Amino acid sequence: MVPDLTAAAGAPRVAAIEFPFGRPFGQPNDPATQGAVLQATLDALRDASEPGNVAHLPFEWPEALHQVHWHPQEPSPIIKLVSRDPSLYQRLASGDIPPEASRRS
Amino acid sequence: MTALNRTVDSFRYLSPASVAIVKTMIATAARDPVPWTPLPRRLNEATVALVSTAGLSMKGDSPFDIEGERQNPWWGDPSYRVIPRTATEADIVVSHVHIETSYIRQDLEVALPLRHLATAQAEGRIGRVASSHYSFMGYLLDPTEFLERSVPAMLERMGAEGVDVALFVPV
Repeated sequence: MVPDLTAAAGAPRVAAIEFPFGRPFGQPNDPATQGAVLQATLDALRDASEPGNVAHLPFEWPEALHQVHWHPQEPSPIIKLVSRDPSLYQRLASGDIPPEASRRS
Repeated sequence: MTALNRTVDSFRYLSPASVAIVKTMIATAARDPVPWTPLPRRLNEATVALVSTAGLSMKGDSPFDIEGERQNPWWGDPSYRVIPRTATEADIVVSHVHIETSYIRQDLEVALPLRHLATAQAEGRIGRVASSHYSFMGYLLDPTEFLERSVPAMLERMGAEGVDVALFVPV
């Protein structure tokens, strides 16, 4: 996940884990890791003593980086849009979010 | 599986283009004082609810509005759904076009570990699993409506169900 962003958003207690997007507790059908991550998260919650505390959990993802598959098969609509128009990517990367973001259509 | 003294790299799985976007989000986040509520009771007496950003809904409930996002890629559905504590992957629809969702559809515990939480209750590590858990779809470039409508509604329900601890689970 992206604990730097979670912390910046003001989460009171953060349990950071370096797992790929879509599987924050581990691989499917790996209950040992899933349960251990949940317990480590509960321990971090119990032990946090001040606002904004970030506990870095000591778990290693079992796949090498080049083996990790977390992107959707079809790119998301915003990725397709900014891929077609670099000026829109620059807008997104600079935090200049257009008013279209606040209404459906 | 584990290594001591790891420092988690927030950007390990992101492309350089996405890193630039996320770093801007971090740099421009409102620096309000971080809220702090002490745990009202020990964890082994506390009621725990999960809140997932995975866009989970129950089959039979209306799914998150992916079509609206396809029509307007800047927008994300700001609503939320309730997931009962008994839900499994057989009950769930995943509506999130920014991640590969097949892992969650295969095993809900990878993102919403309700069975592991029930085990924690059975073993006395937490007090109780809340009756209701929550999901929203985390791609919200403008979270205003989510913060003004969905969050208060979730908090009200948590309060009514005696929730002491909310575990927010990004995906």
